[in-house]
Amino acid sequence: MNLAISTPFAPFARLADVLSDITLMAQALPDASTGQSLGQSIPSTWTLSMLLPILLGAIGYLLIQQGVLNSRPFFAGGVIASVIAVVIVAIGFTPATLESILLMGFCVLATGGGVGFLVAREPVYAALGFATVVLSVCGVLFMQSALFIAAATMIVYAGATIIIFLFVLMFAQQSDLRNYDIQLNRPLVAATIGAILLTTLTLCVTAENAVFAATADLTRPLSLASLPDNFISDAGRELSKKLEAMEPGQSIVPKSTAGLGRSLYTDYLIAVELAGTILLVATIGAIALAQRTTESQS
Amino acid sequence: MNGVLTQNLLVFGGILFVIGMVGFLTRRSLILMFLSLEMMLSGVSVNLIAFSRHHQNYQGQILAIMVLTIAACEAAIALALVVSLFRRKATLDIAAWDELSETLVPKAIEVSITLTDPNLAFPKLTPAGLDPMSHPISAHFDDQSSAGGERENASMREAGSHA
Repeated sequence: MNLAISTPFAPFARLADVLSDITLMAQALPDASTGQSLGQSIPSTWTLSMLLPILLGAIGYLLIQQGVLNSRPFFAGGVIASVIAVVIVAIGFTPATLESILLMGFCVLATGGGVGFLVAREPVYAALGFATVVLSVCGVLFMQSALFIAAATMIVYAGATIIIFLFVLMFAQQSDLRNYDIQLNRPLVAATIGAILLTTLTLCVTAENAVFAATADLTRPLSLASLPDNFISDAGRELSKKLEAMEPGQSIVPKSTAGLGRSLYTDYLIAVELAGTILLVATIGAIALAQRTTESQS
Repeated sequence: MNGVLTQNLLVFGGILFVIGMVGFLTRRSLILMFLSLEMMLSGVSVNLIAFSRHHQNYQGQILAIMVLTIAACEAAIALALVVSLFRRKATLDIAAWDELSETLVPKAIEVSITLTDPNLAFPKLTPAGLDPMSHPISAHFDDQSSAGGERENASMREAGSHA
């Protein structure tokens, strides 16, 4: 289904043209390298009616953040607007397989947690909303066969969230809500900016051919060819044979964490070293920053 | 099908990013602004993983690992900054640190709002122990407990039986 560009969205027509030009140029690239194209073009199932949920979501956010203070009808109206937005998006997911329903559920949970994070005035509830978002995102990543990253995110962010809880309990007691927690900073302006940004992002992403056709780059993911022979294990040799024998349309989903580790420690070894350095510097910096300077005070 | 899934995930990543951005713009507490930043980063991670799945290789996942590493560093530095800033002014309000901001921009009008819930009900607990108003604990409690501890205990027992 095409992204139907009607008259109110005429300015975006030019944008779509530019995008399709870029896409055509980029699609010409894999032929030059050794990569092969797995698909030709990606039709878009998103239409302009999908922009309605963004508007409804922004309105829902504004109503909820106002209503959560003292107005029940505002709160109810905001919740209804958000639910309608979610329903409109859900109708767009036409092939309702179990996987897509699960994925949709995780996405809705994450978005709901995010809205809860935005509107909750008590910092503890906001932190709870953040934890919901992180766990749901981990579910999404898990379903995209990024097992290691899902686990690592869960560990890192869960630890960070617990620390945040400690901070909230230390600094901002729930018993006395501060004014800076209650009063948000210009929510109308922020919601407008957010809606515009999300509209632009959605238009760019869901335009015809905006997402490049999948390419299996045979040179990059495991650059086994560049390694000396004794570096390659039998499994690696088998995998590279499989990669070479791969036909268009066939998928070797990178499911294995072992493959990820091999790629991380061969292709991206310098990046790993740099990341380790940055972690060390950040640790030292955090300790230096948080140190209490008792000598100067006493 | 795969491309459609990628598109939907990209939109989801955009939603997360925008939620984080709105949180960063509206929230005024330092800790919650930092959490908004983390949410933006997780939106970016979703994007990277979607492309990794789409192109069937590990590059996106590795970039997501790098994002995770930088997010951890940022968390450490940001929390240390929050601690040291809180020590200076004893507030988490970001507006307390706007000395470097433009003076032309008018400050947001500070309206003092109090949360009033008509249905606010505190739990009713049966009072336990002595009423501290009628039985104040003296400053030299330790001396008394050594000298007249028996008397204190007796009065406590008496009050308990009355209750």
